[in-house]
Amino acid sequence: RMKYFTRLRVRRVYKWRGEPLTFNRKLKTSLAISVEGLPKTTVINTGQHILIEGEDEDNPYVAKVIRLYGDESGRQKKAVVQWFVRVSEVPVSKLKLLGREPHPQEIFYYQGRSCDDEVDAESILRPVKRLDGAAPFPDGDRDALYVKLSWDSKTFKVLDSELAPPSCPKPSLPPLAPVLPACSGSGVPRPRSARPAHPGLRHHAAGRDHQRFLSGLPFRHRLTVKRLEFLILPFVSFNRFLFGQVTPGTPRTPHGATPSIPSRTLPARQPANVLEEARTRLHVSSVPESLPCREQEFQDIYSFVESKIVDGTGGCMYISGVPGTGKTATVHEVMRCLQHAADVDEIPPFHFIEINGMKMTDPHQAYVQILQKLTGQKATADHAAALLEKRFSNAAPRKETTVLLVDELDLLWTRKQNVMYNLFDWPTRRHARLVVLTIANTMDLPERIMINRVASRLGLTRMSFQPYSFKQLQQIIMSRLNKVKAFEQDALQLVSRKVAALSGDARRCLDICRRATEICEHSAADPSASGLVGMSHVMEALDEMFSSAYITAIKCASVQEQLFLRAVIAEFRRLGLEEATFQQVFVQHQALCRVEGLQPVSVSEGLAVCQRLGACRLLLLEPSRLGVLQRVRLNVSQDDVLFALKAD
Amino acid sequence: MSKRKIQEDHLLIGECISQVQEILRERFCHQQLPDRPEGLEAQHKHLLELLKRTAVHGESNSVLIVGPRGVGKTMLLKCVLRDLLEEKEAQKNLLQVHLNGLLQTDDRIALKEITRQLHLENVVGDKVFGSFAENLAFLLEALKKGDRSSSRPVLFVLEEFDLFAHHKNQTLLYNLLDVSQSAQAPVAVVGITCRLDVLELLEKRVKSRFSHRQIHLLSNPTFPQYLAQVRTQLSLPADFPDHQFAEDWNASVKTLVEDKSAVDVLQRHFNSSKDFRSMHMLLMLCLSRVSVAKPAVKPADLLEASRLCFSDAKANILHGLSVLELCLIIAMKHLNDVYEGEPFNLQMVHNEFKKFLQRKSNSMYNFEQPVIMKAFEHLQQLELIRPLDSSAARIQREYQLMRLMLDHSQIMEALQKYPQCPTDIKQWAMSAFS
Repeated sequence: RMKYFTRLRVRRVYKWRGEPLTFNRKLKTSLAISVEGLPKTTVINTGQHILIEGEDEDNPYVAKVIRLYGDESGRQKKAVVQWFVRVSEVPVSKLKLLGREPHPQEIFYYQGRSCDDEVDAESILRPVKRLDGAAPFPDGDRDALYVKLSWDSKTFKVLDSELAPPSCPKPSLPPLAPVLPACSGSGVPRPRSARPAHPGLRHHAAGRDHQRFLSGLPFRHRLTVKRLEFLILPFVSFNRFLFGQVTPGTPRTPHGATPSIPSRTLPARQPANVLEEARTRLHVSSVPESLPCREQEFQDIYSFVESKIVDGTGGCMYISGVPGTGKTATVHEVMRCLQHAADVDEIPPFHFIEINGMKMTDPHQAYVQILQKLTGQKATADHAAALLEKRFSNAAPRKETTVLLVDELDLLWTRKQNVMYNLFDWPTRRHARLVVLTIANTMDLPERIMINRVASRLGLTRMSFQPYSFKQLQQIIMSRLNKVKAFEQDALQLVSRKVAALSGDARRCLDICRRATEICEHSAADPSASGLVGMSHVMEALDEMFSSAYITAIKCASVQEQLFLRAVIAEFRRLGLEEATFQQVFVQHQALCRVEGLQPVSVSEGLAVCQRLGACRLLLLEPSRLGVLQRVRLNVSQDDVLFALKAD
Repeated sequence: MSKRKIQEDHLLIGECISQVQEILRERFCHQQLPDRPEGLEAQHKHLLELLKRTAVHGESNSVLIVGPRGVGKTMLLKCVLRDLLEEKEAQKNLLQVHLNGLLQTDDRIALKEITRQLHLENVVGDKVFGSFAENLAFLLEALKKGDRSSSRPVLFVLEEFDLFAHHKNQTLLYNLLDVSQSAQAPVAVVGITCRLDVLELLEKRVKSRFSHRQIHLLSNPTFPQYLAQVRTQLSLPADFPDHQFAEDWNASVKTLVEDKSAVDVLQRHFNSSKDFRSMHMLLMLCLSRVSVAKPAVKPADLLEASRLCFSDAKANILHGLSVLELCLIIAMKHLNDVYEGEPFNLQMVHNEFKKFLQRKSNSMYNFEQPVIMKAFEHLQQLELIRPLDSSAARIQREYQLMRLMLDHSQIMEALQKYPQCPTDIKQWAMSAFS
């Protein structure tokens, strides 16, 4: 993984400076950082703002030093800090709460809980200049950072004056001196008292300030303003845009393309009668008010995830079950409930993201999707893996728990299993705070496809969703219908018993019911009908969906095709094998033609008949280039063929 | 006399014939849809209502249309779409995406095609931007953002549906069917296939997401119905510009389908296959024999067309062989008789041929080994014989094992029709065991 670090790693040397404080010998006043090979020394004092090494080399973490201390031996150097978060660390979904485009150099005073504020002093990179207060974002200084608001992982608030320290001490490094645009009067920081008292108004005020600032600039500065406006756009898309311009040959998603389906010109019609209402409710896609029959599983997953969120730890869970048993639905329901709990402050806030093995083109795309959903960044698979690795192994301020749902886990299998390994390894890291819920179909997937070190990390928290029993299926339909009277009781029972016996797949059950309502609607003209979906309708729907068409297909075949099938059976019996070449069958076919008093067919025609039967898979054939030598097998049992032919 | 009268009152006869050719060719080449699909009314209604619910109510659905080749699956769908789009509500809303398993051979191509046909925003001109992964994410995002009541419904038509099931992981099918089963943009997924076992091809997760609606097109017309079909297919519509000609034409069609020999020919076709496509093929051949001098389809035309349809392709190739090549084929036939279909090599064939020559003591066919070799290779190029397996490339050509790709009946038939076939060769071929 080291190969991703394109930059030369700089070796820094850290030393304590100055006298220790008298009342506690462990507390220090300042720290000297010198870069190997360079004579210059940087000094860090308490109260100063610093950059801390993080997952993203371009955007290190920002914090303010509260205390510096070392242990007795003097080997370990520690710092207690107050964290600030960058725009890129705020979840993408929450950024819109800001009500304006964030400035790329903007940082937020972090007020959230669950934050490890002790860092290794050796991860400090350098001090940084910080501007604050109501000053609009000036242009030109790429090193200064601006604090205007605080962020407590739910809302942005105007910084309280007691929280916000007075302007930072003089930076010890000369190149960090800010170059403020001298041309604009509004660029000069205003006194703190000038800030509007009402926090709600502040957003607007800041926005207006910004506008005025832009329009107030003389013409020669417009160009830079233009650049500023570009900078305000999210960085990633900006880069994309640039690259797209520079290299027109490489196809890339055009900048700013939003994925969307056009909206309707005419509104969708609403259900008009009981049957249509029932049909809408029975559609698999309609989200039910509650999930019946999965209470136990719901409870187990809920308490698992909740405990991890509350403790601020991580963990893995493996959920298995055949398709259509409500695995994904249950997890989503759990997440909805937890999100609600977080909203009303019962549990700490968390971040839920999901990926699906079937919805990606390659297992390594999992990294890309996770990174994109976590931070909104776009990266290649390798780069994304490196960034995630860093993110989950380093301590950081943002740290709210991430809950990751990995659906269709088996699709993430690679020969080295590194994707799975990483997914299960991250939760075990101390600072990761990652809960991984995985879903797949087979119960013994960990034993079957995972190598030991992967299976071991997945752990033993397993849960298996049993196929629904007929009573549960019945309950599911009832709860979906929710007092819409459209089905006879017997009909419901028939459907659920039939499906429970076949697969226990709730989707199948709902689909059959939906089809039954359609059939019922068609036969509504019948005056004897009660208007409810009855046994006969359900029977018809079941028949349509589950009966095999082979026998009907044989009955509907042409005379020569039927003769050919009989010839196949005759030849099989003669050979005592279930396989014959076309040439052998053709001899039988000619004989049968003579018996039936039909004109014998030519070889070409016989082959055409054979190919037609092969196309609808009544016969299994070898590739047709083998001509008369191709081998023929039946795809139906001989009894079925004879039964179908006899019925004529 | 009557001809001249027609010319005066109506169109010229040549004009009429070209009109007839145009109308009927359109019909036979599936350019023109019938007013309603014959014998498929129930299926038509089912499909129409299903798609209407998607277009009008925004209900997501998935359905498979299954039926043997040439039965009219695509025609049914086209008819349904034509009828559906007559409704303004559907016409304004429905987006269509047509895919074919033979064209979109993997998901990468299929995704680009979907994106292009939907005119999503990552399409510039006719070019789709982004990698495979980006395209998939983009499309899924687009569909996910939509919802039942506000986005335009999308109809996905997947022809040769079974071929999509062979794509890696069935990613495309999983995603399309997953959208059809979740609260996203409304979609209707219509698969068209001729395989009866298509559901067995679907992976269990994909299968669970498919609604299991199948519309089977298994029409079983009786022979009188088939005759009636032939008649309607050949008849001219009532709005034909020249009424007199149309009447005459339709009358001649009526006499045609009542003619004994014509009925026999049609019966034979009916026995062979009932589907529309082979019927159209036959009628097309008849139609091409209609001219100004002969402005009607006669039973003789039907007979000739049928002879063309039923002629054996391999036997036709045999007519073009040289006498030497024919002799080699006969030698192979004898070898097949003696060794009961075991493979042979050039040397064996040559020996068999030599035995025949010795018996005849006739030097007429005495060829050098290289000439025989060349003839043998020519037969292989025509695929009348094929090597047992290609792995044995190291074996000397004379000793490579071969199989004959012809049936005895084909050889005998070809000999009967071979121009000026020498009698002794004919006799040699007839002799059961040499």
